[in-house]
Amino acid sequence: MGDSEIAAGDIVETVPSALIILDQNLIIKSANRAFYQTFRTSPQETEGSLIYNLGNRQWDIPALRNLLESVIPHRASVEGFEVEHDFPTIGRRTMLVNARKILRGGDHDGYILLAIEDVSEERAARAESKRNWQLTQSIVDTIRDPLVVLEGDMTIVTASKAFLKMFGITEAETRGRRVAELGQHQWDVPALRHLMEKVLPENKPIESFEIEDNFPGLGLRVFNLNARKISQPGNHAHRMLLVFEDITDRKQRERDALVLTNEISHRIKNNLQIVVGLIAYEAKFTEASCVQGYKAMQARIGAIAQLYDLISQSSLGRTVAVDAYLREIAKVMSASLIGDASGIKIEVKAEALEIDPDHAVPFGLLVNELATNAIKHAFPHGDGHITLSVEQVGDEIELVVADDGIGIQDKVVTKIAQKRGADYVAIFVRQLGGTILPAPSDEPGTIVRIRLPLLLVSSGGAAPLAA
Amino acid sequence: MAIILVVEDDALIRMVAEMMIQDWGHETLSASDEDEALTILRSSQRIDALFTDIYLKASVLGGCNLASQAIALRPQLRVLYTTGNSLTEKMTALFVAGAHCLGKPYTQQQLQDSVAEMLAT
Repeated sequence: MGDSEIAAGDIVETVPSALIILDQNLIIKSANRAFYQTFRTSPQETEGSLIYNLGNRQWDIPALRNLLESVIPHRASVEGFEVEHDFPTIGRRTMLVNARKILRGGDHDGYILLAIEDVSEERAARAESKRNWQLTQSIVDTIRDPLVVLEGDMTIVTASKAFLKMFGITEAETRGRRVAELGQHQWDVPALRHLMEKVLPENKPIESFEIEDNFPGLGLRVFNLNARKISQPGNHAHRMLLVFEDITDRKQRERDALVLTNEISHRIKNNLQIVVGLIAYEAKFTEASCVQGYKAMQARIGAIAQLYDLISQSSLGRTVAVDAYLREIAKVMSASLIGDASGIKIEVKAEALEIDPDHAVPFGLLVNELATNAIKHAFPHGDGHITLSVEQVGDEIELVVADDGIGIQDKVVTKIAQKRGADYVAIFVRQLGGTILPAPSDEPGTIVRIRLPLLLVSSGGAAPLAA
Repeated sequence: MAIILVVEDDALIRMVAEMMIQDWGHETLSASDEDEALTILRSSQRIDALFTDIYLKASVLGGCNLASQAIALRPQLRVLYTTGNSLTEKMTALFVAGAHCLGKPYTQQQLQDSVAEMLAT
Protein backbone atom coordinates (compact mmCIF):
# COMPACT_ATOMS: atom_id res chain seq x y z
CA MET A 1 0.00 0.00 0.00
CA GLY A 2 1.16 3.56 -0.68
CA ASP A 3 1.59 6.61 1.60
CA SER A 4 -2.00 7.69 1.26
CA GLU A 5 -3.08 4.24 2.36
CA ILE A 6 -0.84 4.40 5.40
CA ALA A 7 -2.39 7.77 6.31
CA ALA A 8 -5.84 6.28 5.85
CA GLY A 9 -4.71 3.39 8.02
CA ASP A 10 -3.86 5.83 10.85
CA ILE A 11 -7.32 7.31 10.68
CA VAL A 12 -8.86 3.86 10.67
CA GLU A 13 -6.90 2.98 13.84
CA THR A 14 -8.47 5.84 15.73
CA VAL A 15 -12.07 4.87 14.90
CA PRO A 16 -13.74 3.15 17.89
CA SER A 17 -15.80 0.80 15.68
CA ALA A 18 -14.23 -2.42 14.43
CA LEU A 19 -13.25 -1.91 10.77
CA ILE A 20 -12.02 -4.38 8.16
CA ILE A 21 -11.14 -3.89 4.54
CA LEU A 22 -11.84 -6.73 2.13
CA ASP A 23 -10.83 -7.09 -1.45
CA GLN A 24 -13.24 -8.18 -4.15
CA ASN A 25 -12.61 -11.83 -3.27
CA LEU A 26 -13.51 -11.16 0.35
CA ILE A 27 -9.92 -11.59 1.44
CA ILE A 28 -9.13 -9.41 4.44
CA LYS A 29 -6.60 -6.76 3.48
CA SER A 30 -6.43 -5.13 6.88
CA ALA A 31 -8.35 -4.53 10.09
CA ASN A 32 -8.09 -1.93 12.86
CA ARG A 33 -7.17 -2.30 16.52
CA ALA A 34 -10.81 -2.12 17.59
CA PHE A 35 -11.53 -5.18 15.45
CA TYR A 36 -8.68 -7.21 16.96
CA GLN A 37 -9.74 -6.23 20.46
CA THR A 38 -13.43 -6.89 19.99
CA PHE A 39 -13.02 -10.26 18.34
CA ARG A 40 -9.84 -11.31 20.21
CA THR A 41 -7.73 -12.01 17.17
CA SER A 42 -4.41 -10.78 15.71
CA PRO A 43 -3.20 -9.30 12.39
CA GLN A 44 -1.27 -12.56 11.69
CA GLU A 45 -4.42 -14.65 11.91
CA THR A 46 -6.47 -12.11 10.03
CA GLU A 47 -4.72 -10.43 7.11
CA GLY A 48 -4.72 -12.42 3.86
CA SER A 49 -7.44 -14.75 5.12
CA LEU A 50 -10.84 -15.24 3.51
CA ILE A 51 -13.28 -13.58 5.89
CA TYR A 52 -15.31 -16.80 6.27
CA ASN A 53 -12.20 -18.77 7.29
CA LEU A 54 -11.29 -16.37 10.04
CA GLY A 55 -10.91 -18.00 13.50
CA ASN A 56 -11.88 -21.59 12.61
CA ARG A 57 -14.63 -20.39 10.23
CA GLN A 58 -16.52 -18.63 12.98
CA TRP A 59 -17.27 -15.76 10.55
CA ASP A 60 -18.91 -18.15 8.13
CA ILE A 61 -22.31 -16.70 8.98
CA PRO A 62 -25.25 -17.13 6.56
CA ALA A 63 -26.43 -13.56 7.17
CA LEU A 64 -22.96 -12.18 6.44
CA ARG A 65 -22.63 -14.30 3.32
CA ASN A 66 -25.96 -12.93 2.18
CA LEU A 67 -24.75 -9.36 2.80
CA LEU A 68 -21.40 -9.74 1.08
CA GLU A 69 -22.46 -11.92 -1.86
CA SER A 70 -26.01 -10.82 -2.66
CA VAL A 71 -26.46 -7.27 -1.35
CA ILE A 72 -23.08 -5.53 -1.70
CA PRO A 73 -22.50 -6.36 -5.40
CA HIS A 74 -25.62 -4.43 -6.32
CA ARG A 75 -25.30 -1.46 -3.98
CA ALA A 76 -22.64 1.07 -3.16
CA SER A 77 -23.37 0.93 0.57
CA VAL A 78 -25.44 -0.88 3.19
CA GLU A 79 -26.16 0.51 6.62
CA GLY A 80 -27.47 -1.01 9.83
CA PHE A 81 -27.37 -4.63 8.68
CA GLU A 82 -27.92 -6.65 11.85
CA VAL A 83 -26.04 -9.92 12.37
CA GLU A 84 -26.62 -12.07 15.42
CA HIS A 85 -24.19 -14.95 15.95
CA ASP A 86 -22.65 -17.27 18.53
CA PHE A 87 -18.90 -16.78 18.41
CA PRO A 88 -16.92 -19.65 20.01
CA THR A 89 -14.42 -17.17 21.47
CA ILE A 90 -16.61 -14.27 22.61
CA GLY A 91 -20.09 -15.77 22.87
CA ARG A 92 -23.33 -14.57 21.46
CA ARG A 93 -23.07 -11.16 19.86
CA THR A 94 -25.37 -8.84 18.00
CA MET A 95 -23.50 -6.73 15.47
CA LEU A 96 -24.56 -3.84 13.35
CA VAL A 97 -22.66 -3.90 10.05
CA ASN A 98 -22.22 -0.91 7.76
CA ALA A 99 -20.63 -1.72 4.41
CA ARG A 100 -19.28 0.60 1.73
CA LYS A 101 -17.62 -0.11 -1.59
CA ILE A 102 -14.43 1.86 -2.12
CA LEU A 103 -13.63 2.34 -5.79
CA ARG A 104 -10.46 4.04 -6.82
CA GLY A 105 -9.96 5.80 -10.10
CA GLY A 106 -9.44 3.29 -12.96
CA ASP A 107 -9.62 0.38 -10.59
CA HIS A 108 -12.93 -1.42 -11.04
CA ASP A 109 -12.25 -4.06 -8.51
CA GLY A 110 -12.02 -1.83 -5.46
CA TYR A 111 -12.40 -2.75 -1.81
CA ILE A 112 -15.18 -3.27 0.68
CA LEU A 113 -15.00 -1.39 3.98
CA LEU A 114 -16.93 -3.10 6.75
CA ALA A 115 -17.63 -1.22 9.97
CA ILE A 116 -18.82 -3.63 12.63
CA GLU A 117 -20.41 -2.26 15.76
CA ASP A 118 -21.01 -4.57 18.69
CA VAL A 119 -24.49 -3.66 19.90
CA SER A 120 -24.94 -6.77 22.08
CA GLU A 121 -25.13 -4.85 25.35
CA GLU A 122 -27.49 -2.27 23.99
CA ARG A 123 -29.74 -4.99 22.57
CA ALA A 124 -29.55 -6.95 25.84
CA ALA A 125 -30.48 -3.79 27.77
CA ARG A 126 -33.36 -3.19 25.41
CA ALA A 127 -34.56 -6.78 25.81
CA GLU A 128 -34.16 -6.47 29.60
CA SER A 129 -36.14 -3.25 29.57
CA LYS A 130 -38.87 -4.96 27.53
CA ARG A 131 -38.94 -7.91 29.94
CA ASN A 132 -39.11 -5.46 32.87
CA TRP A 133 -41.96 -3.62 31.25
CA GLN A 134 -43.79 -6.92 30.64
CA LEU A 135 -43.14 -7.91 34.26
CA THR A 136 -44.41 -4.54 35.49
CA GLN A 137 -47.47 -4.87 33.29
CA SER A 138 -48.15 -8.38 34.58
CA ILE A 139 -47.77 -7.18 38.19
CA VAL A 140 -50.07 -4.25 37.41
CA ASP A 141 -52.58 -6.72 35.96
CA THR A 142 -52.56 -8.96 39.03
CA ILE A 143 -53.43 -6.08 41.40
CA ARG A 144 -57.09 -6.32 42.24
CA ASP A 145 -57.62 -2.57 42.52
CA PRO A 146 -57.90 -0.70 39.23
CA LEU A 147 -54.84 1.46 38.62
CA VAL A 148 -53.26 3.60 35.96
CA VAL A 149 -49.77 4.93 35.38
CA LEU A 150 -49.71 8.56 34.26
CA GLU A 151 -47.13 10.68 32.49
CA GLY A 152 -46.14 14.06 33.88
CA ASP A 153 -48.76 15.67 31.61
CA MET A 154 -51.48 13.48 33.26
CA THR A 155 -52.02 11.30 30.18
CA ILE A 156 -52.37 7.56 30.73
CA VAL A 157 -49.33 5.40 29.93
CA THR A 158 -50.83 2.10 31.01
CA ALA A 159 -53.94 0.84 32.73
CA SER A 160 -54.39 -2.42 34.65
CA LYS A 161 -56.79 -5.14 33.47
CA ALA A 162 -58.92 -4.45 36.56
CA PHE A 163 -59.18 -0.80 35.50
CA LEU A 164 -60.20 -1.68 31.93
CA LYS A 165 -62.74 -4.22 33.17
CA MET A 166 -64.27 -1.94 35.76
CA PHE A 167 -64.69 1.00 33.43
CA GLY A 168 -65.60 -1.12 30.39
CA ILE A 169 -62.96 0.41 28.13
CA THR A 170 -60.16 -0.96 25.99
CA GLU A 171 -56.47 -0.30 26.46
CA ALA A 172 -56.41 1.66 23.20
CA GLU A 173 -59.16 3.94 24.55
CA THR A 174 -57.13 4.84 27.62
CA ARG A 175 -53.69 5.35 26.14
CA GLY A 176 -52.66 8.98 25.81
CA ARG A 177 -55.92 10.22 27.33
CA ARG A 178 -56.31 12.16 30.55
CA VAL A 179 -58.10 10.68 33.55
CA ALA A 180 -60.46 13.67 33.53
CA GLU A 181 -61.63 12.70 30.03
CA LEU A 182 -62.65 9.15 30.97
CA GLY A 183 -66.24 7.97 31.29
CA GLN A 184 -68.63 10.87 31.70
CA HIS A 185 -65.94 13.12 33.12
CA GLN A 186 -66.63 11.91 36.69
CA TRP A 187 -62.97 12.31 37.53
CA ASP A 188 -62.90 15.87 36.28
CA VAL A 189 -63.06 17.31 39.77
CA PRO A 190 -61.17 20.57 40.43
CA ALA A 191 -60.05 19.46 43.92
CA LEU A 192 -58.65 16.19 42.52
CA ARG A 193 -56.94 17.97 39.63
CA HIS A 194 -55.40 20.40 42.08
CA LEU A 195 -54.04 17.53 44.21
CA MET A 196 -52.77 15.59 41.20
CA GLU A 197 -50.85 18.61 39.99
CA LYS A 198 -48.90 18.57 43.25
CA VAL A 199 -47.94 14.87 43.22
CA LEU A 200 -45.01 15.17 40.83
CA PRO A 201 -43.49 18.62 41.43
CA GLU A 202 -43.92 18.55 45.21
CA ASN A 203 -43.72 14.78 45.70
CA LYS A 204 -46.92 15.03 47.69
CA PRO A 205 -48.87 11.76 47.58
CA ILE A 206 -52.67 11.79 47.46
CA GLU A 207 -54.05 9.68 50.27
CA SER A 208 -57.69 8.72 50.23
CA PHE A 209 -59.45 11.23 48.01
CA GLU A 210 -63.07 10.14 47.91
CA ILE A 211 -65.34 10.41 44.88
CA GLU A 212 -68.95 9.28 44.96
CA ASP A 213 -70.83 9.23 41.68
CA ASN A 214 -72.98 7.27 39.29
CA PHE A 215 -70.71 5.39 36.90
CA PRO A 216 -72.14 3.99 33.65
CA GLY A 217 -72.56 0.22 33.97
CA LEU A 218 -71.49 0.32 37.63
CA GLY A 219 -74.19 2.37 39.31
CA LEU A 220 -73.54 4.43 42.41
CA ARG A 221 -69.98 3.86 43.54
CA VAL A 222 -67.58 5.37 46.03
CA PHE A 223 -63.91 5.36 45.08
CA ASN A 224 -60.91 6.13 47.20
CA LEU A 225 -58.07 7.56 45.12
CA ASN A 226 -54.43 7.24 46.06
CA ALA A 227 -51.59 8.62 43.97
CA ARG A 228 -47.84 8.77 44.31
CA LYS A 229 -44.78 9.57 42.29
CA ILE A 230 -42.75 6.80 40.67
CA SER A 231 -39.09 7.62 40.14
CA GLN A 232 -37.04 5.61 37.67
CA PRO A 233 -33.36 5.31 38.62
CA GLY A 234 -31.12 7.15 36.16
CA ASN A 235 -34.09 8.76 34.49
CA HIS A 236 -35.33 12.28 35.11
CA ALA A 237 -38.79 11.50 33.74
CA HIS A 238 -41.28 10.87 36.55
CA ARG A 239 -44.57 9.11 36.39
CA MET A 240 -47.50 8.82 38.73
CA LEU A 241 -49.27 5.73 39.98
CA LEU A 242 -53.00 6.32 40.53
CA VAL A 243 -54.97 3.60 42.33
CA PHE A 244 -58.77 3.48 42.38
CA GLU A 245 -59.99 1.61 45.42
CA ASP A 246 -63.67 0.71 45.32
CA ILE A 247 -64.89 1.39 48.86
CA THR A 248 -68.62 1.33 48.08
CA ASP A 249 -69.32 -1.69 50.32
CA ARG A 250 -67.11 -0.42 53.13
CA LYS A 251 -68.79 2.97 52.93
CA GLN A 252 -72.22 1.37 53.11
CA ARG A 253 -71.15 -0.66 56.16
CA GLU A 254 -69.88 2.54 57.79
CA ARG A 255 -73.18 4.27 57.10
CA ASP A 256 -75.13 1.31 58.46
CA ALA A 257 -72.91 1.33 61.54
CA LEU A 258 -73.58 5.05 62.01
CA VAL A 259 -77.35 4.55 61.80
CA LEU A 260 -77.04 1.72 64.32
CA THR A 261 -74.81 3.82 66.59
CA ASN A 262 -77.32 6.68 66.50
CA GLU A 263 -80.16 4.29 67.26
CA ILE A 264 -78.28 2.75 70.19
CA SER A 265 -77.26 6.21 71.40
CA HIS A 266 -80.90 7.31 71.28
CA ARG A 267 -81.98 4.30 73.33
CA ILE A 268 -79.17 4.68 75.84
CA LYS A 269 -80.05 8.32 76.42
CA ASN A 270 -83.72 7.49 76.78
CA ASN A 271 -82.82 4.81 79.32
CA LEU A 272 -80.58 7.24 81.20
CA GLN A 273 -83.51 9.65 81.18
CA ILE A 274 -85.62 7.02 82.93
CA VAL A 275 -82.83 6.43 85.49
CA VAL A 276 -82.57 10.17 86.17
CA GLY A 277 -86.37 10.36 86.46
CA LEU A 278 -86.49 7.47 88.91
CA ILE A 279 -83.79 9.09 91.05
CA ALA A 280 -85.85 12.31 91.03
CA TYR A 281 -88.92 10.32 92.02
CA GLU A 282 -87.02 8.55 94.80
CA ALA A 283 -85.71 11.90 96.07
CA LYS A 284 -89.27 13.01 96.76
CA PHE A 285 -89.59 10.46 99.51
CA THR A 286 -86.11 10.88 100.95
CA GLU A 287 -85.06 12.81 104.03
CA ALA A 288 -84.05 16.39 103.25
CA SER A 289 -80.42 15.77 104.24
CA CYS A 290 -80.03 13.19 101.43
CA VAL A 291 -81.75 15.16 98.66
CA GLN A 292 -78.53 17.01 97.74
CA GLY A 293 -76.79 13.68 97.09
CA TYR A 294 -79.63 12.50 94.83
CA LYS A 295 -79.45 15.76 92.91
CA ALA A 296 -75.67 15.46 92.43
CA MET A 297 -76.18 11.91 91.18
CA GLN A 298 -78.70 13.14 88.62
CA ALA A 299 -76.34 15.90 87.49
CA ARG A 300 -73.39 13.53 86.99
CA ILE A 301 -75.46 11.04 84.99
CA GLY A 302 -76.66 14.01 82.96
CA ALA A 303 -73.08 15.17 82.30
CA ILE A 304 -71.95 11.76 81.06
CA ALA A 305 -75.05 11.54 78.88
CA GLN A 306 -74.44 15.02 77.45
CA LEU A 307 -70.96 14.00 76.41
CA TYR A 308 -72.21 10.62 75.19
CA ASP A 309 -72.53 11.61 71.52
CA LEU A 310 -69.08 13.16 71.46
CA ILE A 311 -67.57 10.17 73.17
CA SER A 312 -69.26 7.58 70.96
CA GLN A 313 -68.27 9.50 67.83
CA SER A 314 -64.69 10.09 68.97
CA SER A 315 -64.11 6.38 69.60
CA LEU A 316 -64.82 5.63 65.92
CA GLY A 317 -61.79 7.53 64.61
CA ARG A 318 -58.09 6.77 64.87
CA THR A 319 -57.35 10.07 66.56
CA VAL A 320 -59.43 12.77 68.18
CA ALA A 321 -58.76 16.42 67.32
CA VAL A 322 -58.59 18.07 70.75
CA ASP A 323 -59.50 21.56 69.53
CA ALA A 324 -62.69 20.41 67.80
CA TYR A 325 -63.51 18.15 70.74
CA LEU A 326 -63.12 21.00 73.20
CA ARG A 327 -65.32 23.28 71.09
CA GLU A 328 -67.98 20.58 70.99
CA ILE A 329 -67.83 20.18 74.79
CA ALA A 330 -68.13 23.96 75.18
CA LYS A 331 -71.10 23.99 72.80
CA VAL A 332 -72.89 21.20 74.70
CA MET A 333 -72.22 22.92 78.03
CA SER A 334 -73.21 26.38 76.77
CA ALA A 335 -76.51 24.95 75.52
CA SER A 336 -77.32 23.80 79.05
CA LEU A 337 -76.65 27.24 80.55
CA ILE A 338 -80.06 28.72 81.06
CA GLY A 339 -81.87 30.68 83.71
CA ASP A 340 -79.51 32.04 86.38
CA ALA A 341 -76.43 30.75 84.56
CA SER A 342 -77.30 32.17 81.13
CA GLY A 343 -74.84 35.07 81.55
CA ILE A 344 -71.86 32.70 81.65
CA LYS A 345 -69.83 32.50 78.44
CA ILE A 346 -67.55 29.55 77.66
CA GLU A 347 -64.66 30.24 75.30
CA VAL A 348 -62.17 27.85 73.75
CA LYS A 349 -58.55 28.63 72.89
CA ALA A 350 -56.96 25.55 71.41
CA GLU A 351 -54.09 24.53 69.17
CA ALA A 352 -54.67 21.82 66.55
CA LEU A 353 -53.55 18.76 68.54
CA GLU A 354 -54.58 15.14 68.42
CA ILE A 355 -55.12 12.56 71.15
CA ASP A 356 -55.80 8.85 71.29
CA PRO A 357 -59.57 8.07 71.24
CA ASP A 358 -59.04 5.77 74.25
CA HIS A 359 -58.18 8.86 76.28
CA ALA A 360 -61.00 11.03 74.93
CA VAL A 361 -63.56 9.82 77.50
CA PRO A 362 -61.63 10.65 80.70
CA PHE A 363 -60.32 13.83 79.00
CA GLY A 364 -63.87 14.94 78.15
CA LEU A 365 -65.13 14.10 81.65
CA LEU A 366 -62.19 15.98 83.19
CA VAL A 367 -62.94 19.12 81.17
CA ASN A 368 -66.63 18.74 82.00
CA GLU A 369 -65.92 18.39 85.72
CA LEU A 370 -63.68 21.48 85.83
CA ALA A 371 -66.06 23.60 83.79
CA THR A 372 -69.06 22.42 85.81
CA ASN A 373 -67.27 23.39 89.03
CA ALA A 374 -66.64 26.85 87.60
CA ILE A 375 -70.28 27.24 86.49
CA LYS A 376 -71.55 26.12 89.91
CA HIS A 377 -69.23 28.03 92.18
CA ALA A 378 -67.45 30.90 90.43
CA PHE A 379 -70.34 33.14 89.50
CA PRO A 380 -72.85 33.82 92.27
CA HIS A 381 -74.21 36.71 90.18
CA GLY A 382 -74.72 34.52 87.12
CA ASP A 383 -72.33 36.09 84.66
CA GLY A 384 -68.66 35.71 83.75
CA HIS A 385 -66.23 33.97 81.44
CA ILE A 386 -64.83 30.46 81.46
CA THR A 387 -61.90 29.73 79.15
CA LEU A 388 -60.98 26.21 78.12
CA SER A 389 -57.56 26.02 76.51
CA VAL A 390 -55.07 23.41 75.36
CA GLU A 391 -51.58 23.93 74.07
CA GLN A 392 -48.54 21.83 73.44
CA VAL A 393 -45.80 22.19 76.06
CA GLY A 394 -42.80 20.04 75.18
CA ASP A 395 -44.22 16.60 74.46
CA GLU A 396 -47.26 17.10 76.69
CA ILE A 397 -50.62 18.80 76.46
CA GLU A 398 -51.42 21.54 78.94
CA LEU A 399 -55.10 21.90 79.72
CA VAL A 400 -56.13 25.13 81.40
CA VAL A 401 -59.63 25.79 82.69
CA ALA A 402 -59.83 29.37 83.91
CA ASP A 403 -62.66 31.58 85.10
CA ASP A 404 -62.89 35.24 86.11
CA GLY A 405 -65.22 34.52 89.01
CA ILE A 406 -64.90 34.92 92.75
CA GLY A 407 -62.08 32.39 93.16
CA ILE A 408 -61.88 29.72 95.84
CA GLN A 409 -62.83 31.68 98.97
CA ASP A 410 -61.76 29.33 101.67
CA LYS A 411 -59.04 26.90 100.71
CA VAL A 412 -59.28 24.85 103.91
CA VAL A 413 -62.98 24.44 104.56
CA THR A 414 -64.43 23.38 101.24
CA LYS A 415 -67.96 22.23 100.95
CA ILE A 416 -68.46 18.47 100.72
CA ALA A 417 -69.94 18.75 97.22
CA GLN A 418 -67.01 20.83 95.97
CA LYS A 419 -64.57 18.39 97.45
CA ARG A 420 -66.29 15.53 95.68
CA GLY A 421 -65.91 17.44 92.40
CA ALA A 422 -62.22 17.88 93.11
CA ASP A 423 -61.94 14.18 93.85
CA TYR A 424 -63.32 13.39 90.41
CA VAL A 425 -60.76 15.75 88.84
CA ALA A 426 -57.95 13.94 90.68
CA ILE A 427 -59.28 10.56 89.52
CA PHE A 428 -59.41 11.58 85.85
CA VAL A 429 -55.96 13.22 85.98
CA ARG A 430 -54.52 10.07 87.57
CA GLN A 431 -56.23 7.92 84.94
CA LEU A 432 -54.60 10.02 82.20
CA GLY A 433 -51.17 9.93 83.87
CA GLY A 434 -51.11 13.71 84.22
CA THR A 435 -50.18 16.21 86.93
CA ILE A 436 -52.03 19.19 88.37
CA LEU A 437 -49.78 22.26 88.40
CA PRO A 438 -49.89 24.78 91.24
CA ALA A 439 -52.28 27.63 90.44
CA PRO A 440 -50.91 31.15 90.18
CA SER A 441 -51.96 33.00 93.34
CA ASP A 442 -52.02 36.56 91.96
CA GLU A 443 -54.59 35.93 89.21
CA PRO A 444 -58.25 36.73 89.84
CA GLY A 445 -60.77 33.90 89.60
CA THR A 446 -59.76 30.25 89.54
CA ILE A 447 -57.20 28.76 87.19
CA VAL A 448 -56.60 25.02 86.98
CA ARG A 449 -53.58 23.92 84.94
CA ILE A 450 -53.04 20.26 84.14
CA ARG A 451 -50.24 18.61 82.17
CA LEU A 452 -51.24 15.45 80.30
CA PRO A 453 -48.97 13.08 78.34
CA LEU A 454 -51.54 12.63 75.58
CA LEU A 455 -49.91 14.16 72.55
CA LEU A 456 -49.93 12.07 69.38
CA VAL A 457 -47.19 12.97 66.93
CA SER A 458 -48.45 12.89 63.34
CA SER A 459 -46.49 10.76 60.88
CA GLY A 460 -44.20 12.40 58.31
CA GLY A 461 -44.59 12.54 54.49
CA ALA A 462 -44.21 9.43 52.37
CA ALA A 463 -41.16 8.74 50.23
CA PRO A 464 -41.64 8.24 46.47
CA LEU A 465 -41.76 4.69 45.13
CA ALA A 466 -38.78 3.59 43.09
CA ALA A 467 -39.76 1.85 39.82
CA MET B 1 -99.52 27.42 87.56
CA ALA B 2 -99.58 26.43 83.92
CA ILE B 3 -101.06 23.63 81.83
CA ILE B 4 -98.42 21.83 79.80
CA LEU B 5 -99.01 19.24 77.06
CA VAL B 6 -96.30 16.55 77.29
CA VAL B 7 -95.79 14.58 74.05
CA GLU B 8 -93.46 11.59 74.36
CA ASP B 9 -93.73 8.16 72.73
CA ASP B 10 -91.95 6.33 75.57
CA ALA B 11 -94.59 5.82 78.27
CA LEU B 12 -92.09 5.57 81.13
CA ILE B 13 -90.23 8.75 80.14
CA ARG B 14 -93.56 10.53 79.68
CA MET B 15 -94.67 9.51 83.18
CA VAL B 16 -91.38 10.68 84.71
CA ALA B 17 -91.56 14.02 82.87
CA GLU B 18 -95.16 14.59 83.93
CA MET B 19 -94.27 13.72 87.50
CA MET B 20 -91.39 16.20 87.50
CA ILE B 21 -93.54 18.97 86.04
CA GLN B 22 -96.44 18.31 88.42
CA ASP B 23 -93.96 18.60 91.32
CA TRP B 24 -93.81 22.36 90.75
CA GLY B 25 -97.57 22.74 90.79
CA HIS B 26 -98.22 22.66 87.05
CA GLU B 27 -100.85 20.53 85.40
CA THR B 28 -100.04 18.17 82.57
CA LEU B 29 -101.86 16.70 79.60
CA SER B 30 -100.25 13.83 77.73
CA ALA B 31 -100.05 12.37 74.25
CA SER B 32 -97.85 9.67 72.74
CA ASP B 33 -97.81 10.81 69.09
CA GLU B 34 -98.67 13.68 66.74
CA ASP B 35 -102.30 12.62 66.14
CA GLU B 36 -103.14 12.35 69.83
CA ALA B 37 -101.47 15.69 70.50
CA LEU B 38 -103.30 17.44 67.63
CA THR B 39 -106.65 16.13 68.89
CA ILE B 40 -105.99 17.82 72.25
CA LEU B 41 -104.63 20.99 70.58
CA ARG B 42 -107.77 21.28 68.43
CA SER B 43 -110.04 21.01 71.50
CA SER B 44 -111.11 23.98 73.63
CA GLN B 45 -108.85 22.79 76.50
CA ARG B 46 -106.63 25.52 77.96
CA ILE B 47 -102.97 24.79 77.14
CA ASP B 48 -100.09 27.17 78.00
CA ALA B 49 -97.14 25.19 76.68
CA LEU B 50 -96.09 22.19 74.61
CA PHE B 51 -93.20 19.98 75.76
CA THR B 52 -92.48 17.52 72.96
CA ASP B 53 -89.94 14.87 72.04
CA ILE B 54 -88.60 15.39 68.51
CA TYR B 55 -88.42 11.72 67.48
CA LEU B 56 -92.00 10.47 67.78
CA LYS B 57 -92.49 6.79 66.94
CA ALA B 58 -91.81 6.41 63.21
CA SER B 59 -91.49 10.12 62.53
CA VAL B 60 -87.88 11.27 62.93
CA LEU B 61 -88.86 14.96 63.06
CA GLY B 62 -92.41 14.37 64.34
CA GLY B 63 -92.05 16.80 67.27
CA CYS B 64 -90.89 19.60 64.94
CA ASN B 65 -93.88 19.07 62.63
CA LEU B 66 -96.22 18.90 65.60
CA ALA B 67 -94.94 22.18 67.10
CA SER B 68 -95.34 24.01 63.78
CA GLN B 69 -98.96 22.82 63.46
CA ALA B 70 -99.59 23.63 67.13
CA ILE B 71 -98.38 27.22 66.67
CA ALA B 72 -100.62 27.53 63.61
CA LEU B 73 -103.58 26.47 65.77
CA ARG B 74 -102.57 28.42 68.89
CA PRO B 75 -100.14 31.26 68.10
CA GLN B 76 -99.65 32.09 71.82
CA LEU B 77 -98.44 28.58 72.72
CA ARG B 78 -94.93 28.25 74.22
CA VAL B 79 -92.80 25.34 73.00
CA LEU B 80 -89.94 23.31 74.52
CA TYR B 81 -88.37 20.43 72.57
CA THR B 82 -86.41 17.46 73.87
CA THR B 83 -84.39 14.77 72.09
CA GLY B 84 -82.16 11.80 72.79
CA ASN B 85 -80.34 12.38 69.49
CA SER B 86 -77.64 14.87 68.65
CA LEU B 87 -79.20 18.17 67.76
CA THR B 88 -78.79 18.73 64.01
CA GLU B 89 -79.18 21.85 61.89
CA LYS B 90 -82.00 20.06 60.11
CA MET B 91 -83.86 19.99 63.45
CA THR B 92 -83.11 23.52 64.58
CA ALA B 93 -84.14 24.91 61.19
CA LEU B 94 -87.63 23.54 61.88
CA PHE B 95 -87.89 24.99 65.40
CA VAL B 96 -90.66 27.48 66.03
CA ALA B 97 -89.41 30.99 66.84
CA GLY B 98 -87.92 31.39 70.31
CA ALA B 99 -88.14 27.71 71.26
CA HIS B 100 -85.33 25.82 73.05
CA CYS B 101 -84.38 22.17 73.14
CA LEU B 102 -83.49 20.18 76.24
CA GLY B 103 -81.17 17.23 75.57
CA LYS B 104 -81.95 13.87 77.16
CA PRO B 105 -81.32 12.85 79.79
CA TYR B 106 -82.26 15.99 81.67
CA THR B 107 -82.34 16.32 85.42
CA GLN B 108 -85.35 17.55 87.32
CA GLN B 109 -83.48 20.80 87.92
CA GLN B 110 -82.71 21.28 84.21
CA LEU B 111 -86.31 20.59 83.23
CA GLN B 112 -87.53 22.98 85.92
CA ASP B 113 -85.18 25.72 84.67
CA SER B 114 -86.20 25.16 81.05
CA VAL B 115 -89.90 25.13 81.81
CA ALA B 116 -89.57 28.24 83.97
CA GLU B 117 -87.70 30.05 81.21
CA MET B 118 -90.23 28.95 78.58
CA LEU B 119 -93.16 30.22 80.69
CA ALA B 120 -91.41 33.50 81.50
CA THR B 121 -91.03 34.51 77.83
